[in-house]
Amino acid sequence: MFGPFLSPLWGDVNDGLWFPQDASTFAGEVDSTFNMILWICIAFFIPIVIALAWFAIKYHQPKGGKATSRVRHNNVLEISWSVFPAFVLVIMFVRGSWGYLDQREPPTGAAEVNVQAFKWDWSMDYGNGIVSPELHAVVNQPTRLVMRSTDVIHSLYVPAFRIKRDVVPGRYNVIWFEATVASEKVSQAELDEALKDAEENHGGDFDPERYGFTRQGYTYFDLYCAEYCGRDHSQMQTVVVVHETQEDFEAWLAAANVKPEGMTDEEYGRQLYQTRGCQSCHSIDGTRLVGPSFAGLFGTTHALESGEQVTVDENYVRESILDPRAKIVAGYQAVMPSYKGQLTDEQINSLVAFIKSLNGD
Amino acid sequence: MATTEALPHDATAEDHDHGDHPAFLAHHFDTPEQQFDSGKLGIWLFLVTEVMMFSGLFCAYAIYRAMRPEVFVGSSVFLNTQLGAVNTGVLLFSSLTMAWAVRCAQLEQHRMLVGMLGATLGCASLFLGVKSIEYSHKMDLGLLPAGFYSYDPHAVHHHEGLSPFLIWMAAPFAIATIGLLVWYVIAKVRKNAFQSLVAGPLLAAGLSFFAGVGLGMLLESGESTEGVEHVSESAEESLAEIGPLVGEEEGIHRQDPVEPTGVEPIDAADAENEPAVARATGVVGQLAQQETNSGVRQQLLAEERQAEMASGRITTSAEDVTGPVGELVQAIDTPRLGGVFFSIYYCITGLHAFHILVGMGFLTWLIVRAARREFESNYFGPVDYVGLYWHIVDLIWIYVFPLLYLIR
Amino acid sequence: MATSATHAGYAADNYLNHSRGLASWLFTLDHKRIGVMYLIGILTSFLVGGLLAMAIRAHLMAPDGALPLTNDQYNQVFTLHGAIMVFLFIIPSVPAALGNFLVPVMLGAKDVAFPRMNLGSFYLWCFGALFLVGALLSSGLDTGWTFYTPYSTTTDTSVVLATFGAFVLGFSSIFTGLNFIVTINTMRPPGMTWFRMPLFLWATYATSIIQVLATPVLGITLLLLIAERTMHIGIFDPEYNGDPVTYQHFFWFYSHPAVYIMILPGFGIISELISVHSHKGIFGYRFIAYSSIAIALLGFLVWGHHMFTSGMSNLTTIVFSALTFSVSIPSAIKVFNWLATMYKGSISLTTPMCYALSFLFLFTIGGLTGLFLGTLNTDLHLHDTYFIVSHFHYVMMGGTVVAFVGGLFHWWPKMFGRMYNEFWGRISAAIVFIGFNLTFFPQFILGSRGMPRRYATYDVEFQGLHQMSSIGAFLLGFGLLVAGLTLLHALFKGKLAPSNPWGGATLEWHCSSPPPHYNFAHAPVVGDPYEFDHIDYDRSIDGYVFTSPPREVLPKTPQAEPATAKDSHS
Repeated sequence: MFGPFLSPLWGDVNDGLWFPQDASTFAGEVDSTFNMILWICIAFFIPIVIALAWFAIKYHQPKGGKATSRVRHNNVLEISWSVFPAFVLVIMFVRGSWGYLDQREPPTGAAEVNVQAFKWDWSMDYGNGIVSPELHAVVNQPTRLVMRSTDVIHSLYVPAFRIKRDVVPGRYNVIWFEATVASEKVSQAELDEALKDAEENHGGDFDPERYGFTRQGYTYFDLYCAEYCGRDHSQMQTVVVVHETQEDFEAWLAAANVKPEGMTDEEYGRQLYQTRGCQSCHSIDGTRLVGPSFAGLFGTTHALESGEQVTVDENYVRESILDPRAKIVAGYQAVMPSYKGQLTDEQINSLVAFIKSLNGD
Repeated sequence: MATTEALPHDATAEDHDHGDHPAFLAHHFDTPEQQFDSGKLGIWLFLVTEVMMFSGLFCAYAIYRAMRPEVFVGSSVFLNTQLGAVNTGVLLFSSLTMAWAVRCAQLEQHRMLVGMLGATLGCASLFLGVKSIEYSHKMDLGLLPAGFYSYDPHAVHHHEGLSPFLIWMAAPFAIATIGLLVWYVIAKVRKNAFQSLVAGPLLAAGLSFFAGVGLGMLLESGESTEGVEHVSESAEESLAEIGPLVGEEEGIHRQDPVEPTGVEPIDAADAENEPAVARATGVVGQLAQQETNSGVRQQLLAEERQAEMASGRITTSAEDVTGPVGELVQAIDTPRLGGVFFSIYYCITGLHAFHILVGMGFLTWLIVRAARREFESNYFGPVDYVGLYWHIVDLIWIYVFPLLYLIR
Repeated sequence: MATSATHAGYAADNYLNHSRGLASWLFTLDHKRIGVMYLIGILTSFLVGGLLAMAIRAHLMAPDGALPLTNDQYNQVFTLHGAIMVFLFIIPSVPAALGNFLVPVMLGAKDVAFPRMNLGSFYLWCFGALFLVGALLSSGLDTGWTFYTPYSTTTDTSVVLATFGAFVLGFSSIFTGLNFIVTINTMRPPGMTWFRMPLFLWATYATSIIQVLATPVLGITLLLLIAERTMHIGIFDPEYNGDPVTYQHFFWFYSHPAVYIMILPGFGIISELISVHSHKGIFGYRFIAYSSIAIALLGFLVWGHHMFTSGMSNLTTIVFSALTFSVSIPSAIKVFNWLATMYKGSISLTTPMCYALSFLFLFTIGGLTGLFLGTLNTDLHLHDTYFIVSHFHYVMMGGTVVAFVGGLFHWWPKMFGRMYNEFWGRISAAIVFIGFNLTFFPQFILGSRGMPRRYATYDVEFQGLHQMSSIGAFLLGFGLLVAGLTLLHALFKGKLAPSNPWGGATLEWHCSSPPPHYNFAHAPVVGDPYEFDHIDYDRSIDGYVFTSPPREVLPKTPQAEPATAKDSHS
């Protein structure tokens, strides 16, 4: 009833007050459990508040007034209001536990994605060396995520699917979902305009949040990190794209780790820099972040923590990507995760080209 | 008295002079009994907090023992049971002297009380002396908490002279003992009965630390004539016995998606490359089986390396992995595994030793008060409370000893 | 007996002016002065924590942050807000400040059992606070107040200083709890049986049990964390094969009972407030008393509900869910009993009563929303979102803090002998109530719509609700400011308070306002703490007087007291 009145407050909402879009097989059950509890709570709360207000007004007396009742206990009443709520609680408990067990048992034959969380990005490994920061799945087909972390605890949270699971270093945590709503694909014109805008106004940084769709033109669901993990915790977000068909998904897979036609190495390197988590620790304008800035880096010589000297050449860049802890520049911490197995040779080459290009002309 | 109607509005309440009750009774208490009961309840509650605190450590012990039984079995052979047993006996005896001291306080046997407190203090000191030998010996071997663990079974561990760790641990006691000796001599010379009554037991306690050191050295060297080899052999034996366990246990607590079948016997020659490839299932796995498909193989190996990094299971030197037994010794020897046992060992025994030190402080305070003859038959609370504290410290050791030293 | 004039008015010689000079305060063993010193420290912490909260809310006015704070700075701000509010303010708030003042007075005793230890725990509190401030001044703290590993073992900020501070504060809390348990056990006056104790004492007793049993586990956890950071003991740090989830178990084994350390004393205050200001005996005394103990004990069994998403086994998870529901029943009992107490009472809508009513409303919401989080499948969605943030603020702030402020207004005349301005008191209650709901209700919606907590920046679709929440927070801050100024004003300009301004029947209303140095010159006569028949309003002193000696309600046979009790005084 307040929806239309309040709706400007929460922006583009078209699915009720309490929930984001309902896009997985779990969402219906979670929402209806939530609503059940909500109504039970209202059923308790309204009488309590009415009684509270009514007593406060009705029995209000000036100072010195005497209470009109001396009843100090009533065992029947007290036992009944202790026991009765317990039955209601049992209903909630049973329903919640069934729903929980559903979420814990992945069906056999689910598509599998290996998820790696690190500060502060995600990398989804689809097998066959195809790795992407985005989570892609096929509608109405269960997907199982096997998750691990290389540094601190993260938590994978997709509100639209109502799923959440911590990603704990040192162990594998598993979660699954079956999306029921597919992403839409925006028109090519709209996509081109957004790409152009990103290129012109944002230095090529395509932020899906800004346009409402991904670089490939899919609308998406938000995927958040829900466990506090440090500086860019709030930016540790990515997108979930749900494909209409298996073919569409495979087409995306095929293109995912390949340099697009007509893109130069530098451009592709820049895109990887933006999408694969480099930019959260390495600036390209000389600002010192967690790691050394890439600006003017190539060809320079640095002292290492070990006391040796190293010249930044192709070999050093490649080694630093694949085995970051081998040579740490003095003054920095050994915190970068290895990208071994996550970047193809072509991608590494493109990154090298990109870093080279930052030296200016 | 309850019949009085006077309401407590008498704002000018007289300050309590101590005329109507004994000096030891604090003025917010009405009777010595009330004061004693309060103190007793207070100390019992405090002991509850102590138990809760140690129970946290025992939980950590239980959890990690359940997760890595082989590490605990393999590592506990490094603990010297004889030294532990000696210390257990010393603490049990000190509990006896402590209880006796309480009795003396009740019976107002003042000199005997000082003696018993001194004996307890001496036992505590002896305990720490033995403990310092245990610690310094392990530190010399590099048996340290996970972060510093550097034990190398192949190195020769023959240390000439005193361990620097021992010197650091013994130095404060040496200084204190010398100080006490000087004090004692001066007190004797000046014929100050009170001071010599206090300094005597303290000096004895200081000396008993070094008695403990000597005893510890004796027992420790007795062990090491048979050699460190003995220790590491038994470590290897016990590891070999539980060898199969390890594989299972690894498989259980790491639900590694890439290796659902658990650890297979590893071909020594190809130990480095085979596992991930062999274990990979599905299409990728089939692809990886072909020697020519080096890209996929590399991919899988890299993934495995990553998984290992994620789980922190990086072996420091991969080259001397020769087979199941070798690998297991390796697993124990690497800091990331073997250290856990010693982390828990140092935490539990360290916290316990800290409690002994605090108890020694209390005992010293009691000795001074006992020498002043402050305790009497209806005021012996402090002795009783410290006694209770001492018994709990003893009791905790009674649990620590079997858990760390005996259970294999 | 006649209404003696000494009942009304400011006692000439009281604990405040009994001795003078700074040293007479710093080295005092008087529980009332220690309580007042605690109060000053705690309110200062509350002010600092509150300003940090304002900074958080101001920053969240815009999706990319309205204040010029970097993400790192934002993380430090919310961490310090949490750490200060939890460790320095809310845990010691009611027990250490109000409890210290009230427990012996309500017992008719001269002091707590161990006055030196009491002063010691105050200094431990100061010492712990210094460490936390030290952490803030050196390189800050950005782990969240929970210090989750491995983040806390790898971050560059001063985790060791802060955890050591929390460790010391834990011991302060243990000693306070221990002192109260002993005091209540051994120093009750003749005639005060367990079931004639004021409910505030029951709540304090239950709280103390938790403090004594749970806090040592926090102590050892923090010690292990310090060892992990300095020596890499490999218990919590996965880098050395430790297990971060084990840390969470250890941590919440303390910190969930700690939630009840925070809320139980609030229950105690509300039981007193509702009864006194309704001038009617508390309804279902035994149920309230037992439910406090039940909460204290059940509170030890539910820590796992903080880890439903961390990776516990299904069975463990479901068991913890079931236990979690069980703890909600005693809380519900209390709410019903308070309502029944008001029924057919004679309700004075004084400032403390306004806060108590506000508490009932807010705590009920806080408690009910806990059901969404105890239910497993909804928790998977709501865990670590703003729904949680809102839930625990409804319980902690809407519950404990509102009760604490209500308690301050209730006992302020007793503590300092001055009345405050009722009008402004009630205004503050109203502003706090409105501001609070405006702040935190939108956060429920934010959370269930998927806004994760501890985010320095957020997606634009959440902006409307965030702004609403921020405006509410400023209003809430303003309301608390009004409350604070009202109380401060009373200290200097308030008219002198009668000894019993509200018509309470518990023992603290028998002594003068403020109480004399030793509280009671003679052991007071213990009556029923909730018997209001013989307390009448006296217009001339604007307070209540006891019209007939309460001795009628003495038990027929005096207690079989431990032999001796009190004889030395008669």
